[in-house]
Amino acid sequence: MSFQKRLQAKEFVVLAEMHTPKGVNISRLVNDARRIKGRVDAIVVPDMDNGIMRMNALAGGVLMQQQGVEAIIHLYCRDRNRMALQGDILAAHVLGIHNLLVVRGEEMSQGDHSEAKAVDDVDECGLLGAIGTLQKGKDMAGFDLDGAPTFFSGASLAPCADEAALEREVAFAAKKVAAGARWLLTPPVYDVARFAAFYERVKGLGVPVVPTVFLLKSLAIAQYIANSEPGANISDELIRRIRKSSDREQEGIHIAGETVAALKPMVQGVLVQTLGWEHKLPAILDVAGL
Amino acid sequence: MEYIKPFKRILLVGCNECVTVCAAGGRKEVGLLASGLHMAVLKSGATIEIREHTLERQCDPEYVEELVPMIDGVEAVMSMACGCGVQEIARRFKNKPVFPALNTKFMGASERQGVWSERCQGCGDCLLGMTGGICPIARCAKQLMNGPCGGSTGGHCEIGEDTDCAWALIWERLKALGQIERYVEITPAKDWRPGGGSGPRKIIREDLAE
Ligand code: SF4
Ligand code: SF4
Repeated sequence: MSFQKRLQAKEFVVLAEMHTPKGVNISRLVNDARRIKGRVDAIVVPDMDNGIMRMNALAGGVLMQQQGVEAIIHLYCRDRNRMALQGDILAAHVLGIHNLLVVRGEEMSQGDHSEAKAVDDVDECGLLGAIGTLQKGKDMAGFDLDGAPTFFSGASLAPCADEAALEREVAFAAKKVAAGARWLLTPPVYDVARFAAFYERVKGLGVPVVPTVFLLKSLAIAQYIANSEPGANISDELIRRIRKSSDREQEGIHIAGETVAALKPMVQGVLVQTLGWEHKLPAILDVAGL
Repeated sequence: MEYIKPFKRILLVGCNECVTVCAAGGRKEVGLLASGLHMAVLKSGATIEIREHTLERQCDPEYVEELVPMIDGVEAVMSMACGCGVQEIARRFKNKPVFPALNTKFMGASERQGVWSERCQGCGDCLLGMTGGICPIARCAKQLMNGPCGGSTGGHCEIGEDTDCAWALIWERLKALGQIERYVEITPAKDWRPGGGSGPRKIIREDLAE
């Protein structure tokens, strides 16, 4: 069953994330996809939204589909104007990709091409609207298309450091849903109880909400996130648990797997982010009992 | 410095308007820059004569005319006005090299003594009525039209702690004004043509133009 059908049938979906290479060596990407095939419902392929120049998500998504794994590709507004975005969206449909995830782009100055000029012709709502328009057989300028694409599109939510930001983000999420997002992806969850409170606020938006579970690969990474992202909610207890462990790598896998298992009764699916450790995905899913 | 190296006699022109207010190119700064340049040139083992003059306004042809008696006596002009003033002098004096002394950054307002920040990018289709009087084009690093990008923390923009997040400001202000419905309404993709997307812009007031 496709990702869209499973979500709509209220079945639990398991997503994994795989990055395209910075270069043309695709062997790792293809091998990782082959290894995970059958254990996930779809693979999310980010584009350059994190600010690192790499092979685009469209090609990555096509490679996934060639391995028999359904792909969800990122789309964002920093690097392409409405012409380029629409062209890519049409290309994605023709190349067999049916899932788009509209995300925010990392600020250009934070990326590896910090001198580049950002485009930002449209924003996330504008892009979701454009996808909807194309599906109705028109382009953004109102001209008829020769063949309309079909997609299942989602949008992402941002981490919120305080109540004011949360309130704003929930209102913004409602706008994205109104603009055409049919599911929402949340930032990484490290504290299931706090997530439950957040989930109460967004579940009323009328679309499935899929949280992200991020593999904490080391104590340093956990500490870094805890210090630099106030909205992440990494507790001291969690840091202590990793520090005390005799096998921190294994501990991270356990934490991720347990988080997935704890979220499962509450939500419609999870995205497991392993940032380069895609070979650990099966182990995480084993812990989660999936 | 590189610009004026080849010349022995230049005219340094200030402007009494905006650049005076923001202490970048008024009479006082003209004096300061002239003596600074003098010293630097002397240090390099050369000499230069720098004549100083400050116009009421450099972006209006009437005022620029004032330079006519001075222009023949110099080899080049350095302007301390914004980019508009520099170009107006270059337009008027076709055979004189004109150099900018400032790097014109933005249209802004003073936040407090000595601090200016960008407020408007002249997008030609003002959104301030929808956004509680806070501009998302000039003040949001991503020029977002509908809401914050997610990099916003504690009211700061993700580009740095010393920049307010425009969307945090907009949200707070609309809330205070009881106009949250303005936020909820989706703003469609912007038409960038009035903002310069279709080339240099011009305003002609038929009633005033000759
Ligand atoms: S919306 Fe446009 S015209 Fe209005 S303040 Fe912003 S940049 Fe200036
Ligand atoms: S943090 Fe706020 S001001 Fe900065 S880019 Fe994001 S939305 Fe715009």
